[in-house]
Amino acid sequence: MDKRDADSVKQAIGCPMSRRKFLRCLAAAGALAAMPGGLLRPFGAEAEKIIYEGDYEIYRNACPRNCYDTCAIKSYVKDGVLQFIEGAQESTFTDGGLCVKGYAYTRRPYSPDRIKYPMIQDGRGSGNWRRISWDEAMDMIAKKLVEINEKDDSMLGLGLTKYSGNFGITNYAVEGMMTSLGYTTRLVGTPCWPAGIDAQNYDLGDMWCNDPEDMVNSRYIILWGANPAWNSVHSMKYIYAAQDRGAKVVCIDPVFTQTAAKADVYWQVDTSMDGALALGMARHILDKGLFDKAWVRANSVGFDEFADYLRNEITVQWAAEKSGIPQQQIVEVAEEFATAKPATIWIGYGLQRHVNGGATVRSIDALAAMTGNVGKTGGGARYGHLRTWGFNYHALLQKRPEGAKGFVGGDGPKGDFDFSGDEKAEYTDRALNINKTAEMLLTADDPPIRVLWISCKNVLSQDFDRPKMLEAFKKPELIVSVEQFFTQTVELSDIVLPVTTLFEEYTINASYWHYWLSVNEQAIKPMYEAKSNTEIAAALSARMNKLKPGSCTFPTEVDTRQWMIKEFNQDIYDLFGIDSWEDLKNGPAKAKMHPASWHDLEFGTPSKKYEFRSDLCAQHGHQALPKFKAARKPYDKLRLLTPHTKFGIHSQFINIDWMEDFNKKPYCYLHPGAARERGIGDGDQVRVFNKVGEVELEVKLTQNVPADVVMMYEAWFKNNSFNCQNVVDDTSSDMGKYKTGAPGVAIHDQFADVEKV
Amino acid sequence: MSEMELPLVIFTVLSQTAVGLVAISAIRQHAADGPAGSVRPEWMTAALLLIAGLVASLFHLGHPLGAPLAIKHLGSAWLSREALGIGVFTALVIVGFLSARDRVNAGLSFAAAAVGLIALFFTAMTYSPPGFPALNNVMPFVFFLLTAAMVGAGFASYFTSAEKMPMITRILAVSLIIGLVVYLVVPFLWLSGGTVMRQTGLNYISSPLYWARIIVGLVIPLMAIWRMRTLAAWVPVLVLAGEIMGRIAFFLLAVHASANMGGIY
Amino acid sequence: MKKQLAFYIDAKRCIGCFTCAMACKNQYHQESGVIWRDVYELKEEIYPHRERAFYSLACNHCENPTCLNVCPVVAYYKREADGVVVHEQDKCIGCGNCIRSCPYGAPRYNPVLKRAEKCSFCWQRLDDDRKPACVLSCPTDALQIVDLAEFDEANAVQYPAGFPRYPSLNPSVRFRLPAMPKMIRRKL
Ligand SMILES: Nc1nc2c(c(=O)[nH]1)N[C@H]1C(S)=C(S)[C@@H](COP(=O)(O)OP(=O)(O)OC[C@H]3O[C@@H](n4cnc5c(=O)[nH]c(N)nc54)[C@H](O)[C@@H]3O)O[C@H]1N2
Ligand SMILES: Nc1nc2c(c(=O)[nH]1)N[C@H]1C(S)=C(S)[C@@H](COP(=O)(O)OP(=O)(O)OC[C@H]3O[C@@H](n4cnc5c(=O)[nH]c(N)nc54)[C@H](O)[C@@H]3O)O[C@H]1N2
Ligand code: SF4
Ligand code: SF4
Ligand code: SF4
Ligand code: SF4
Ligand code: SF4
Ligand SMILES: [Mo]
Repeated sequence: MDKRDADSVKQAIGCPMSRRKFLRCLAAAGALAAMPGGLLRPFGAEAEKIIYEGDYEIYRNACPRNCYDTCAIKSYVKDGVLQFIEGAQESTFTDGGLCVKGYAYTRRPYSPDRIKYPMIQDGRGSGNWRRISWDEAMDMIAKKLVEINEKDDSMLGLGLTKYSGNFGITNYAVEGMMTSLGYTTRLVGTPCWPAGIDAQNYDLGDMWCNDPEDMVNSRYIILWGANPAWNSVHSMKYIYAAQDRGAKVVCIDPVFTQTAAKADVYWQVDTSMDGALALGMARHILDKGLFDKAWVRANSVGFDEFADYLRNEITVQWAAEKSGIPQQQIVEVAEEFATAKPATIWIGYGLQRHVNGGATVRSIDALAAMTGNVGKTGGGARYGHLRTWGFNYHALLQKRPEGAKGFVGGDGPKGDFDFSGDEKAEYTDRALNINKTAEMLLTADDPPIRVLWISCKNVLSQDFDRPKMLEAFKKPELIVSVEQFFTQTVELSDIVLPVTTLFEEYTINASYWHYWLSVNEQAIKPMYEAKSNTEIAAALSARMNKLKPGSCTFPTEVDTRQWMIKEFNQDIYDLFGIDSWEDLKNGPAKAKMHPASWHDLEFGTPSKKYEFRSDLCAQHGHQALPKFKAARKPYDKLRLLTPHTKFGIHSQFINIDWMEDFNKKPYCYLHPGAARERGIGDGDQVRVFNKVGEVELEVKLTQNVPADVVMMYEAWFKNNSFNCQNVVDDTSSDMGKYKTGAPGVAIHDQFADVEKV
Repeated sequence: MSEMELPLVIFTVLSQTAVGLVAISAIRQHAADGPAGSVRPEWMTAALLLIAGLVASLFHLGHPLGAPLAIKHLGSAWLSREALGIGVFTALVIVGFLSARDRVNAGLSFAAAAVGLIALFFTAMTYSPPGFPALNNVMPFVFFLLTAAMVGAGFASYFTSAEKMPMITRILAVSLIIGLVVYLVVPFLWLSGGTVMRQTGLNYISSPLYWARIIVGLVIPLMAIWRMRTLAAWVPVLVLAGEIMGRIAFFLLAVHASANMGGIY
Repeated sequence: MKKQLAFYIDAKRCIGCFTCAMACKNQYHQESGVIWRDVYELKEEIYPHRERAFYSLACNHCENPTCLNVCPVVAYYKREADGVVVHEQDKCIGCGNCIRSCPYGAPRYNPVLKRAEKCSFCWQRLDDDRKPACVLSCPTDALQIVDLAEFDEANAVQYPAGFPRYPSLNPSVRFRLPAMPKMIRRKL
């Protein structure tokens, strides 16, 4: 150890946190060795060499975000400090890499902005936070829960909102904790993909996509309202591989996205007019006799009715007028798509966030089916799947306390990832629409939501109609947030509990897109006083039982590693071809599944066939056929789009200082034509406003967006009040109730105007 | 735009002033008839300017204690050569000052002046790197020579006897005229260069600092000389002030090549 | 020709995702604001769609590195075996000369250590038979490592538009140009 190092230890123990100093500070406890910064300090050729396998402890982690890619991570730890990470090279999907967000993880557990201790805010929204102990925090919460239970004679006054902050399987302990307290109120549904899930269930009987790695086999790819270049970066290489083998790639999006820039053909469709486009293509394919007659005869129901509908009510000219795509183009791509075999369509989630989103997905499904591309490698109407998620859900499935009372008559799924099975009981939880959280909080009564528990969810950033949400957040008597950072939601909570990051806990991660499975090991000790969601449930249970024995059935002691192991079963082992979960310590495993979904053509529909006509869909109040459904009527001058950003996943990552180096602040994007009309110049500060509220930010002028659109990315920047939900209302999309418990939300059916400030 | 680099501003302007002062002193003593002037204080001033400049330059280093190592790379680094050059020059000036009676030995005077000019050339090479397209040429050398001539002559006037003042005034006036032309023309020449050069030129033309340096350091001194036909004591001070402003502009307004990455060069 | 490692930047594949840039931060934990690899968007005069085509650039490990030439304390050396230009931060006195000199903006100033630093080509990883962190991270293989002694790619260019030409440095970097789809825009 040279003198400088010795000095730095001294300094580090004092620890005013500069980055490297902070890391050294952590290491100072153990042997002081070279930090990654130390790589820069060679002592002579010999000493400089780094031994990667051997000098580091290596752990397996997995990215638990709500992301197609669910990357397997290899973590390098030294002296108890995470030094760097890589994508697992064992996974052909990840192929050794992560994404820009993933690589920022190394910084995340050590971020100076982390919530380090339980804290209480004296006065909701006041900013007067005070550190308290875990005991105090649990005591306050438990007392309140006992109180509301006595007042209401049920736990329905306790509401949970949780969505996609962390999709690790053991995190279902949060729902498990609620169950173990009694019948509670759950905000159910998903803002993500619900309309499309229902649509695929009506058409095919489940949402089940081909292996994304199988896209290399496609001869023709339509990327329809999906932006994988940002939202599923690891899928791009399969699209390129198909292109290299001669496949043509068409991207359909109102925005000239990064994905569009990599396609062979880009169609700037009029937003929410994709249904018309798909039906126009279908009509032309029908007219030309290019549909797969044998396939539809053998494997589908209702095709003739669909064909009649197309002949009677759809023309290519009409489709061109509606969508803005010239007839000649529609005809050309329709023919190419129908004759290139196999051809595939990637149906994005952005596409279905509309009042006609479910209907649109059904018409696109129909296009894939009528051309015989369903059930084939290199084919398929790709949307998502949950076929690799068959865990035990041990954390989720808890008993209710003896004598618990609840809601009468509530049933149906509690979200897209509802694995609770059919619970037949006198009572149920009370289900409220997560996509109308503000409205639900304001109107739920008898009992109202007295205590709101927020976990894996940034309500104030990600849910809709923020002005209304600000009102709604005044109502609960107690708001508890379980978080890693001081988000805008935490700002309006009473108590915040520090939760672990992926490196500090055990769990398992499966993907809703690819077929790989990863284990997530605890690579470092939890920082500060952070606890995992499971441990928090146990701590609360201990306190509840102390106050009122029997009031909570959740185990009071949990070993999170054991709990992870308990999620595995033989079916999982068989599916992934492993003998034990420990095999996953050598790297992720891929399900031994056929690359083509529905390859056996045994559909999950009532008829066991592909249903062009779905009676179930009609029973649920929609059209039986995949007919055109009208769009939402504009309520302002420009359409407002708020899609996903490359520098974050929703409200996560953008606040990490490493990310700030590359992405400093939010912008909105406007066509130069629209800007000219409004006297707006590039780089001006503008106000985007509508009936919901307003946002102020800098504008970038670009023809990437059409002249009738203003776009901004959803994001949470620390120390910046930007919030796109100020201009997004909570209007529902058509579908979603059937499979996810609540309809989706028409995120992209929003309108606004812009002016210079 | 780049950093102001105040330590470098001080170092370069002062060391170049010293070079000018010594060169003019050598000429005045040994190449012209008449009284030598106050040579000892003059060389002491040059030595002090150099020492002050060298001290200032340390503040530019992240690790000032490493400064002596800076001569390690004479083989290719102009900065090493500059360090050596300025070092030798400083030593010669100090020897000159110590050995001076009413004059400094002619050989020593011219040797010091020559070494000073060579060191000035090394400095110019150091500050004309590929990273700054507008400066990656002969311009820094011209700028630095002008500094030596203008501020050097200006300062020399303080040590010059009345008989030789016309000569010094002439040197200063000619330098100022050349300087005025160069400084007025160069930014516009840059405008016709590549993108980064053009940006540098635009930076100059739109910078109050640039125009202030023209007025304070060139126009007013020239007018003062022209009007009064002699050199007032405050004129060299203005010239120095102008050069300092000009040197701040030199560092601050030059655009780095990498600033336009992704654009047309 | 001697072995000379170089970055191959395939702008046709690059999606400007900044993964490579962050992978470098992940490996070396640079201070906030210090960036060794950056992803530069091509301006609209070069690629007509804003923020849709990029060059991912770090140090180019030049054949004739100006950083090395101008460093007064010989803090740089060029490896014989593979042409990697290594900066020994220990020796650096923080004069900033290399930072001003390198036209590619590769060396950066570390305000905490008060020394320069730059992309090392992950030579420690190379010596351990690993790809550089950025190259390994790239999800589209748009960033690759090649040996110029063997590199033979007909369409590759050394100085594409948007990248300054300094033949005297001879940067060890090659590019493939970005492409554009056929655009069908709605008439408004
Ligand atoms: N305007 C607009 N709004 C949108 C969308 C849009 O496109 N436009 N997209 C919608 C979509 S698709 C989705 S999926 C949602 C996503 O919205 P959310 O589900 O809210 O997603 P995140 O912002 O990723 O994560 C929420 C929080 O979880 C926290 N978190 C992370 N890990 C853990 C953990 O282990 N435990 C706990 N307790 N918390 C943790 C994070 O710090 C973060 O603050 O947003 C929706 N909202
Ligand atoms: N980097 C990053 N990756 C992510 C996420 C993230 O936030 N950041 N989020 C993750 C999550 S939770 C999700 S749900 C997925 C989302 O993944 P995607 O669905 O691929 O992404 P989005 O940005 O929501 O929407 C995709 C595209 O839909 C377009 N779109 C909107 N309306 C229409 C329409 O009417 N027609 C057509 N054709 N296109 C339309 C938008 O312009 C946008 O380009 O990505 C996941 N991956
Ligand atoms: S956010 Fe997505 S792509 Fe990035 S590391 Fe996580 S799973 Fe992988
Ligand atoms: S990681 Fe690859 S695709 Fe992404 S910006 Fe870097 S070079 Fe481009
Ligand atoms: S790019 Fe710059 S820093 Fe890198 S070797 Fe070349 S001159 Fe040196
Ligand atoms: S900053 Fe350091 S590495 Fe760069 S030239 Fe100066 S001493 Fe050499
Ligand atoms: S080669 Fe290594 S040091 Fe250089 S940019 Fe890539 S990751 Fe950073
Ligand atoms: Mo989502």
